[in-house]
Amino acid sequence: MTNPVLISSGANSEALAVADFAPIAHRPDIHGISRPSRSYWQDAWIRLKKNRRAMVSLWLIVGLLAFAVIGPLLWQVDPARQDIDQISQAPGADRSARIVAPYEFWGGQAFSGFGEGSGLRTGAEANSQAVRLIWDAVPGAGGYRLYRNIFPIDDEMAFGLPIAEFPNASAGFYEDRLNLRPDTYYYSLVVLDANGGLTSDYQVLEVPVHRVITVDEVRERSLVPATVALATGDEVFLALHPLGTDYLGRDMLARLMSGARVSLFIGIVAPFLYVLLGVAYGATAGFLGGKVDQVMMRFADFVVALPFLLFMILFQVVFGIGPGESGILPMLVALVVLAWPATARLVRGQILQIRQEAYVSASRLLGAKSGYLVWRHMIPNTMGVILVTLTFAVPSAIFTEAFLSFIGMGVAPPTASWGSMSNEGLATMLTHPHELIFPSLFISITVLAFNLLGDGLRDALDARMRSFE
Amino acid sequence: MTTKLLEVKDLQVEFDTYGGIVKAVRGVDFAVQAGKTLAIVGESGCGKSVTVQAMMGLIPMPPGRIMGGSARLRGTDILGRKMIEGREVRGAEIGMIFQDPMSSLNPTMTIGDQIAEPLQVHRGYGQKKAYARAIELLGLVRIPEAARRATQYPFEFSGGMLQRAMIAMAISCNPTILIADEPTTALDVTIQAQILDLLKSLQAETGMAIILITHDLGVVARMADEVAVMYAGKIVEFGTTDDVFYRPSHPYTLGLKQAMPTNHRDAVQKLMPIEGSPPDMFSPPVGCAYAARCPHAMTVCEARQPPAFAVTVQHYSCCWLQHSQVPHKAAGIFYGGGHD
Amino acid sequence: MWQYTLKRLLQGVITVWFIATATFLAMHNVPGDPLSGERAMSASIRANLEARYGLDKSLTQQYFIYIGNFLKGDFGVSFAQENRQVNDIIREHFPVSATLGILAVIFAALGGVLWGALTALYRNRLPDTIIMFLVILGISVPSFVFAALGQLTLVNLNAFFGVSFLPVAGWGTVSHMLLPALVLGMGTMAYLTRLMRSSMLEIIHSDYVRTAKAKGLPPARIFTRHQLRNAILPVITVLGPAIAAITTGGFVVELVFAIPGLGRYFVQAVQQLDYTVIMGTTVFYGAFLVFMVIVVDLLYGWIDPRVRLQ
Repeated sequence: MTNPVLISSGANSEALAVADFAPIAHRPDIHGISRPSRSYWQDAWIRLKKNRRAMVSLWLIVGLLAFAVIGPLLWQVDPARQDIDQISQAPGADRSARIVAPYEFWGGQAFSGFGEGSGLRTGAEANSQAVRLIWDAVPGAGGYRLYRNIFPIDDEMAFGLPIAEFPNASAGFYEDRLNLRPDTYYYSLVVLDANGGLTSDYQVLEVPVHRVITVDEVRERSLVPATVALATGDEVFLALHPLGTDYLGRDMLARLMSGARVSLFIGIVAPFLYVLLGVAYGATAGFLGGKVDQVMMRFADFVVALPFLLFMILFQVVFGIGPGESGILPMLVALVVLAWPATARLVRGQILQIRQEAYVSASRLLGAKSGYLVWRHMIPNTMGVILVTLTFAVPSAIFTEAFLSFIGMGVAPPTASWGSMSNEGLATMLTHPHELIFPSLFISITVLAFNLLGDGLRDALDARMRSFE
Repeated sequence: MTTKLLEVKDLQVEFDTYGGIVKAVRGVDFAVQAGKTLAIVGESGCGKSVTVQAMMGLIPMPPGRIMGGSARLRGTDILGRKMIEGREVRGAEIGMIFQDPMSSLNPTMTIGDQIAEPLQVHRGYGQKKAYARAIELLGLVRIPEAARRATQYPFEFSGGMLQRAMIAMAISCNPTILIADEPTTALDVTIQAQILDLLKSLQAETGMAIILITHDLGVVARMADEVAVMYAGKIVEFGTTDDVFYRPSHPYTLGLKQAMPTNHRDAVQKLMPIEGSPPDMFSPPVGCAYAARCPHAMTVCEARQPPAFAVTVQHYSCCWLQHSQVPHKAAGIFYGGGHD
Repeated sequence: MWQYTLKRLLQGVITVWFIATATFLAMHNVPGDPLSGERAMSASIRANLEARYGLDKSLTQQYFIYIGNFLKGDFGVSFAQENRQVNDIIREHFPVSATLGILAVIFAALGGVLWGALTALYRNRLPDTIIMFLVILGISVPSFVFAALGQLTLVNLNAFFGVSFLPVAGWGTVSHMLLPALVLGMGTMAYLTRLMRSSMLEIIHSDYVRTAKAKGLPPARIFTRHQLRNAILPVITVLGPAIAAITTGGFVVELVFAIPGLGRYFVQAVQQLDYTVIMGTTVFYGAFLVFMVIVVDLLYGWIDPRVRLQ
């Protein structure tokens, strides 16, 4: 037997002092528990506070709520007001406008300093009041057609919007006043043959359009104080839209705020209501047990089997959104009616499990009444699960709202919600992406925050689930 | 003296946890002799399972970490190695069975397939041959209707039957050592005896060595040739079963013995629990880890780790009470059967 | 197993009946009636139409006619398009939605299992971090945003390289299906990835994987024989609801990509208050989903011996 450190008790390798062998006190409790005792919720809160992602999410949610509730008080712009000077304005775009004289009829005469050269050219300064074009006659032409585009003309010769057609070959002019915005336009003049058909002969003119405004318009919109004198050529600033405007010239920030109220209201109130309903239903079924439980849960199974989104749409139809109604209430009711069974199943399962627990039996043996059992044992022990369910229900309700509003089955215009704003933004996605990006960003951030908070809560409330995530 | 098949020296294992580093195994030495049974005894959390799992490379790393030491099988260190002498260590040289047979078998694979697996991998058997051998093995561990049982899934087996199947799987490649990690803890008492008997008779037939991890001194008395008593990540007493049972030389072993019920009719002695709980393994004590719970603790116990003192040739104890300078009164505790 | 299958099918039939009844009751509470559209019609024509659609009968009678027709597999005639059978509409548009849906489900399931297993194996390392970040995005970004962004990216890619990699919208060829299916499956894939990851992590730490290691099996064999199969089980259980989510979620994708599927048609029918089409489509979708859930359950039973043998 060779063991590493083996000292024979007979021969001392090392002498020890007598004092070393003095007996000491027997203290079996020295390794006892010294940590302070904390309640389940205190412990959960401490764990949650350690989770950085969950805490950031919590603050984000607080921020979003403030955005919805306090935001409109700070940014008092009517979300429904249309600013026709600034339609589909990107955030941070130039807001300056030069004051010009009111519009006057134009007879095709080039102003001084304009109209030089040949081909398609401008006959006057191009501004948002009018773009005035003149061109020379093309030999052999049967006529002309004028197009306007906001993109450069590529090889595929997509000329854009046809705005005018001229049946004779002589030199011509055209005054474009159609919905002009400060942007760069590409005008194409296509030569027509004798029969009025398109030929491959065309000229393109790139026209930068500057924003202008008349004194009357400035006064009408109160862009400057009434005391300030204005003259032609002065620069004024149009109304401020920090996040730009939508396709009707409505302020994006104001709409996002009022949309936040709608989306968060549905996203938070609906889950709260249906989780409450689910808890009541599930707890009743689980606690009563037996036949009642079976019948109740079978009914819940049926409701689960209904195709959720289809029935959400059906309910929207059934409730009917009359004129002047927002469609928020029908959606709320439909969500509550359709979404409760998941919570009910979960809570029932929990209650059934807790009913089997020894501590409930012990409590029962000590004479506890049903009400006491539910209140003292069942509810506190399912609270964690319910809270986590609620947190995860919020993003799914927000998704549902957005989905329905997106396909036009949600809130009715002019009520804004993030979903309906995304829907409207989709149409102008290619030219004005901010109209889609802002509302969808808000949806995504909100859903993300609630999901991460839910993860954090689940980890904090249930140590068992925590081990593997 | 018999040959040493496996010799573990100064094995140290740590774990990173949220609370800090846990020093689970703090320099463990023991040896296993061919054909013999070594029992490692200790209470939960003393590091006995970690010791063998570290040897087998079953500790998840991270968070686990082997900090030092060696485990030599026929002279070759197996720590961190998969093969020695052309044979796979796990499954071929060393077989292993676990505490809970219910969760230790794959729920979606038939028992026969699971037993056949090591044969296919280590012996290169074809599927048919391996399966046929699996049925033979099931018969060997005395499972009736082996052919039919082989087609069944774990959930169709009882706990005792599953542990037999686990044993069949562990011995399928004729290992030289079988590690049984609390093999009977999860089983009924009647089944426990059957499983232990089975292990004994298989040992007699195959000549394999068994390392038996347990906290049950009754199991030790029945099975072991040698016993290592483990406390707080160290082996505190080592000796033959007779030595450890009849001449315990460490107060912890004595405490364990007094805490064990006996069936002597004339036993008047009361069961004596060991008071207190094991030390915090985040920061193990400087001196003897048992000092705080030890009724005979001395000044030196708190200050310095006790070395291993030989009691007899094959019996040693890590306790300062074995020091030759110890006053006679203190040393006498082991011979008066307890309290004098 | 046969008994179980029969029981499930019977339950399915009852569920479909419940869906049909709920749809019927819902539609008969819609304010206004289907014939009071924009077109003014004489009283005689109106009476004629009412008789034809059975609107003059009592609610109970209407209900029995309705159920009777369903049993015969007759969903009636469209209100909006006089000469079109609802059956024809479903027959024409459903295969489009189904193709898109199946592609999306395959994509989501394969992706979910693959990424989930990968992230679990590389837990807390770079691939895990990257994929889990994308997964969180996938769960948090609504499908229409994916659809719009996907389309936008494709437009720009096509424009930048001057080649049409994939068509931006429309339907017809496999290349039309790829992007919409990807977009449609994205959310579900993210969800399944998370599920697969946690399931896989649980199994990596399970006792039987430790046993497999102790048996000395090579890692590849442990992965395929012991980890993957068991880890997929929870993924399969949620596949039924996932198929439902994907099928109905297809509405948005069909709208954005201008795909002539049943979902887009349904939305259109709702806007036109086309009663028979709404009812027929709802019940059809409901029956389809109930059937899919049963199929998935049976599949699960077949894969998990604990269910199969009991």
